[in-house]
Amino acid sequence: MAVSLQEKYELLGCIQCGRCTAGCPVSMRTYLNVRRVVYDGMTGVGPTDAKGRPEAWNCTTCSNCTERCPKGVKPMELIIGLRSAAIEKGRIEPTIRDALESTFKHGNPWGRIRDKRTEWADELSVPVAAEGEAVPFLFYVGCTPAYDPRAQSIAKALVALFAAAGVEYSTLGTDESCCGNEIRRMGEDGLFEMLVEGNRELFGGHEVGTIVTASPHCMNTFKNEYGEPTPDVVHYSQLLASLLEAGKLTFKGKVEKKVTFHDACFLGKHNGIYDEPREVLEQIPGVTFEEMDRSRERALCCEGGGGRMWLEATEERGERLAETRVKDAVELGADYLVTACPFCLMTLEDAVKTSGNEGKIEIIDLAELAAMAL
Amino acid sequence: MNIVVCVKQVPETAEADLKIAAGGKGIVEEGLALQINESDNYALEEALLITEEHDGDITIMTLGHESSEEVLRMSMAKGAGTAVRVADPAFDGGDAIATATALAAALKDVEYDLVLTGCMASDDGATQVGVALAELLDIPHATYVTEVEVGSGEVTVGRELEGGLIEKLTIKLPCVLGIQTGINEPRYASIMGIARASKREIELKSAGDMGLDASSVGAAGSGTVLEELTFPPVGEGADILEGTPSEASGKLADILKEKGFV
Repeated sequence: MAVSLQEKYELLGCIQCGRCTAGCPVSMRTYLNVRRVVYDGMTGVGPTDAKGRPEAWNCTTCSNCTERCPKGVKPMELIIGLRSAAIEKGRIEPTIRDALESTFKHGNPWGRIRDKRTEWADELSVPVAAEGEAVPFLFYVGCTPAYDPRAQSIAKALVALFAAAGVEYSTLGTDESCCGNEIRRMGEDGLFEMLVEGNRELFGGHEVGTIVTASPHCMNTFKNEYGEPTPDVVHYSQLLASLLEAGKLTFKGKVEKKVTFHDACFLGKHNGIYDEPREVLEQIPGVTFEEMDRSRERALCCEGGGGRMWLEATEERGERLAETRVKDAVELGADYLVTACPFCLMTLEDAVKTSGNEGKIEIIDLAELAAMAL
Repeated sequence: MNIVVCVKQVPETAEADLKIAAGGKGIVEEGLALQINESDNYALEEALLITEEHDGDITIMTLGHESSEEVLRMSMAKGAGTAVRVADPAFDGGDAIATATALAAALKDVEYDLVLTGCMASDDGATQVGVALAELLDIPHATYVTEVEVGSGEVTVGRELEGGLIEKLTIKLPCVLGIQTGINEPRYASIMGIARASKREIELKSAGDMGLDASSVGAAGSGTVLEELTFPPVGEGADILEGTPSEASGKLADILKEKGFV
């Protein structure tokens, strides 16, 4: 007999206090009501897959609900489970379907072929490990910084920073495949397992020691979901902070701008990395740093996580959270809204345009800003 | 309503830098991802939708090498009950008629009310297999089908014609329908579903199994000969806009303004 949602996600612990819904950023903007989803799962009523409960696709898997639950219930995992059930039936939105099929075929969710994965580095000198060559320090680029024309500048900036700090690293070229972080959150468990197996084999074959990722999403899954033994995994903001502290990286340039920082959910809430990006920011000469009201643990999600890069909200009842975020930063008088995640970069940049704030503020990745100061 | 869906595995070429293989009669397929032909995927979905409403079984059939079993497994994961691979080196190099000859022979032992194919294969673009198959089976057919309504002993279909017209036809069963893309929204086959399907049997049919003479199929049985494959000559008049996305879109906006389009 199939295990009920109540058993599988241990929902009887729920006391319906509502802290999940109260902290859910998406509930401000769509009709996703996490408390209701948990209640229905607990009592065994209502739809058991996201086909019958389309608002489950609105979740950005920011993990606020799970972090805030006083009883240790994991509503986010329940929502991912509802998506998995819909995926097993095959009835999902075409954009999600296409992202999953692309990942299966090409190793990335962007519908791009494997051969073009290194195109971002065509004009640069980026080391690529030969087959079987040991890679003590791996720069895992990730699908979005590898393929997306806007996010490619994160990868390019990192390469410049590594060169300046004398970091010896290598990449895996076109052998690199999707990390699976978003795939798991879209609910495609089988594809996620396939990616984990493939990547573990790939990393093992290169005796990878440490991995630095451009995206917090890749870091999250490598670090928390790949099982043992796992290479050491760091996000680039952690690496830059340690290089600065060790005096290996120094800034010769100046960036005379007022900046604020947007904490990406998968860097902050999921992994508690709040200080390192700020340490980097504060050491860039000329930068005046000011926090937004909603920062660190209280930071507002940009709506780019949990597969939402491939899916609009199923219904809307408020402005995009990324627009709210941009407005907060504009109100603060920041020249740059800095983030350290390719998804945040893209959603926030779109929001600058859709909220009519073009010319008032720029969205920039921490790596790009640091490279400007070299 | 028992349905046979004939599908083909094709290389995905949209973004690839294609190279013509030595000998000049094909492309280099190494490094290209293989997938179900696009319109065949819609044909499969249409079969699934019809059997969900009218009951019946789906047989998925392909003529191809072992790699094409991936397409069969994906189809079984979506709901096809039986899978057949028409497999024999004798079938290599066949044109549309030779392929239809082999598929028609494979259909002899199958009970069906409806045969669905995609309307066109993306690799050779011949658009002939479905029509030839109907002719060989001596049953009616319709091509470029964008609507299917199942009646009693017949189907009413909409066919896409030039200029956006739709031709409505009522056809007696059994018949062959060449399905056009866009008729439905194909479902997703989960990896776990494909893994489960990989444990199921795929029936193999060789030329000998079907009583076919090797000279009637494959290259030997083809009425057409592919002499040479060449790239179209590079024409003039196209401007490729260089630069970052915002630079390129800026240049495009200037051109549109200059030409008076906006």
